[in-house]
Amino acid sequence: MATVDPKTLRLFYHPKDRLRMIIGEERCCLTVKPVWASPLTFPNRYLALLDAKGEEIEMITDPKELDPASREAVERELRLRNLTAVVSKILHAKQEYGATYWSVETDRGERDFVTQNLQENAQWFSDTHLLLIDVDGNRYEIPNIRALDLRSQQYIQSIL
Amino acid sequence: MSDIESAPRPALADAASPPSETDGVLIRLEADYAEDATFGKRILEVTSEVVRIVEAEGAVSFQIPIADIKSARNEPLVGGGRLEITTKTGDVIPIVTYSLTVAAKFSEAARGIEQLAQGQPLAINLKQERTRCPKCNRLLPEKDGICPACIHRGRTLLRILRFMRPYRFHAALLAGMSLLTTVINLAPPYIQGTLIDRVLTAHKDLPMLWGLMTAWLVILASAIVVQILNGRLIAYVGGHVAADIRAQLYRSIEFLQLTFFDKKQVGAIASRVTSDTDRVWGFLVDGLPHIATNFLLMLGIVGFLFFVNWRLALCILTPVPIVVLISIRFWKPVSQLYHRVGQKWARFHTHLNESLSGIRVVKAFAREDYENNKFLHRNDELKNAGIAADGRWFTVFGAMSFFTSLGTLINWTVGGYMVYSRQMSLGDFWKVNAYLGLIYGPLQWFAQVNNWFSRAMAGAERVFEVMDTEAEAYNSGGKSHQIKGEVTFDNVRFGYDKSNPVLKGINFTAKPGEMIGLVGKSGAGKSTTINLICRFYEPDSGSILIDGVDYREMPLQDLRHQIGVVLQEPFLFNGTIAENISYGKPGASFEEIVEAAKAANAHNFILSKPDGYDTIVGERGAKLSGGERQRISIARAILHNPRILILDEATSSVDVETERQIQEAIARLIEGRTTFAIAHRLSTLRNASRLIVLEKGEIVEIGTHAELMEKQGVFYKLVETQSAVSQIIQVAG
Repeated sequence: MATVDPKTLRLFYHPKDRLRMIIGEERCCLTVKPVWASPLTFPNRYLALLDAKGEEIEMITDPKELDPASREAVERELRLRNLTAVVSKILHAKQEYGATYWSVETDRGERDFVTQNLQENAQWFSDTHLLLIDVDGNRYEIPNIRALDLRSQQYIQSIL
Repeated sequence: MSDIESAPRPALADAASPPSETDGVLIRLEADYAEDATFGKRILEVTSEVVRIVEAEGAVSFQIPIADIKSARNEPLVGGGRLEITTKTGDVIPIVTYSLTVAAKFSEAARGIEQLAQGQPLAINLKQERTRCPKCNRLLPEKDGICPACIHRGRTLLRILRFMRPYRFHAALLAGMSLLTTVINLAPPYIQGTLIDRVLTAHKDLPMLWGLMTAWLVILASAIVVQILNGRLIAYVGGHVAADIRAQLYRSIEFLQLTFFDKKQVGAIASRVTSDTDRVWGFLVDGLPHIATNFLLMLGIVGFLFFVNWRLALCILTPVPIVVLISIRFWKPVSQLYHRVGQKWARFHTHLNESLSGIRVVKAFAREDYENNKFLHRNDELKNAGIAADGRWFTVFGAMSFFTSLGTLINWTVGGYMVYSRQMSLGDFWKVNAYLGLIYGPLQWFAQVNNWFSRAMAGAERVFEVMDTEAEAYNSGGKSHQIKGEVTFDNVRFGYDKSNPVLKGINFTAKPGEMIGLVGKSGAGKSTTINLICRFYEPDSGSILIDGVDYREMPLQDLRHQIGVVLQEPFLFNGTIAENISYGKPGASFEEIVEAAKAANAHNFILSKPDGYDTIVGERGAKLSGGERQRISIARAILHNPRILILDEATSSVDVETERQIQEAIARLIEGRTTFAIAHRLSTLRNASRLIVLEKGEIVEIGTHAELMEKQGVFYKLVETQSAVSQIIQVAG
């Protein structure tokens, strides 16, 4: 897999809402959409940079190697484009009539949601890494269940 | 270095003038993300003059005049979307982010903004969807769906009971039998008690012993008769009611609009016909008689206990509330644990099925150890979940048993004392003891009955939800019309999610007998055009005219009778070849079927089969080859004799000779009919009267094959690409 040297890239917002990229000295991409190639198996690695049509311009193995300003811009754009909320605490969870009602605290604030058919909509990527998908398709990720408080872990264990 | 220019941003609105109802707001939608992508609230407001964003505290943070807007769209994000506006100067401005819960509404708003920007009247559908139950404010599992916690169980039960109306005589008999069962259950302890008092302890009146024993024998025999009759009645009534519900549900499903099937998986719909009706059946056969009999029995026993000795009755019933409380308090967590075991079983099954059906791949890649580790992992999960659930169950059951036994202990202590001090006879003590066993059994299942009832009512509610869903206007009014074959698309717009248009203003007229080839890349809108012609969906705006008449004014059944479809993957039903061909014309004679098969070049291969036209095609026609299925579907369409014909990539994936035979059959089929054909291989559309080239939901070219090739436009490029690809494949081959 050919990946680019991140040091040759410069990413910045111009105008205010549009992420641009300059590659080396001569190429400029007016609109760049960063997406993770494998966000759950390889979090924070393999970042694809797509153009406005959704075609890949470059792939970066480790975005940490970008210069700080570019990295900050990319991180901001990723947060705006990937609305998966990272759950830090489960406030309440209960199963009733075949649906599971969740109330959680996430990196984006508190949220209530409903999941159904947990066989499909609770996806395990490892023994401790869980992704919940609610009835509308919204996503809630728990990167490490063991890092949650005891009560939250008990909720998960009693349901999943 | 290239073109980094400063993008002019439209000026922000005067933040001090919050909008009001008097501003003439045409669209107002609440987004559920703040500007920094945290959960929050922002409001999109669209008036005839401006589009603006109002923050939660009321300040306007962004505003752009409609006159400056070129287009608006929903940019899909991971787990949500973003409304983006393209200005007339070419700048793309993201204005508001939202979750998937409300994304469809914002897409619709984007369409509305575009309409206003293009000076068109606003024609969008922003139906308010309920996401929470208006009664208990609980989140709904499905938008606008039922709240499982608030379903009116009594009303649902009444609706189920309404299905019993044709069997009311049997149902009344059943109720009588339940009452009789109760009385019969109460009799033996009574006889035993009397026997002890009058004969055994008194040591006299031996004939009474024989008399009582005879009575007991009669009661036993009647109990068996009643039990058999009861069981047969339950099976009869329950079976009939469930079959009636299934039949009515299936009929309702058949007439549902296709949009219902788009939103739900086939498995989920099928489970309403099978498991949900099965739950109702289970409830009618097991639940209702169980509840009724036990309720009557408990009522009878409690009454009798108080009649025999009210003081003893009070003492021995003291643990009852505790048993009921334990049952209510602990049943749910235990059932949740068993639910978890069910999930683990499902995961276990999936892995087992997958690894066994893919055993060749496992062996070929020497991944036995990897699969074994996965299996052991699932096995461990299942074991742990099972141990947790069973462990909890035995603890709860043990606690309940203790309190149940306590009742017996109290009876022997207090009752024993009463017998000893001659306050009560031994016979009465025996009766009380026997009835005690009958009362504690049903009590332990008190909470389970509630859960059982709730599940059955939720299942019934899901069944009734389908029955109550709006159906297609299949037999609706309108004037019956003999179609000549002119099909006109008049500025037709359509999108499956209402607001992400797949067709954007399609205009064309196909003359009677013309063959129109639909061409374009995948996702261009070819299949959607065909779905609209069949009226599987109706245009969001614009209209489709058949012989100059809006097809919505024609009876749907009439329209579909005159349209024939030959699909890329023809769907045959499990039955004989003859049955499948005559599906297009019920009641067709054998001669007609043979004629159609001959015209479809299917006759010879059918005769080569041992059972000829009686050959069973298997599920989905699996016992036939692709080419054979295709020709049978053509024969079916020929017999159907439609005025408008749809051919959807009918000749792909067959060998050259079969393709020739199919092409020949198609040539016969399309004669004199207006035909719409989609073909992956563009060369097969050479004979089309005209080709319509679609790109991103718009018509980019119309003309004959020769005209379009000469023009060297989009179609020419598609043909060039395809021939280049096939050359590469030939070289590689």
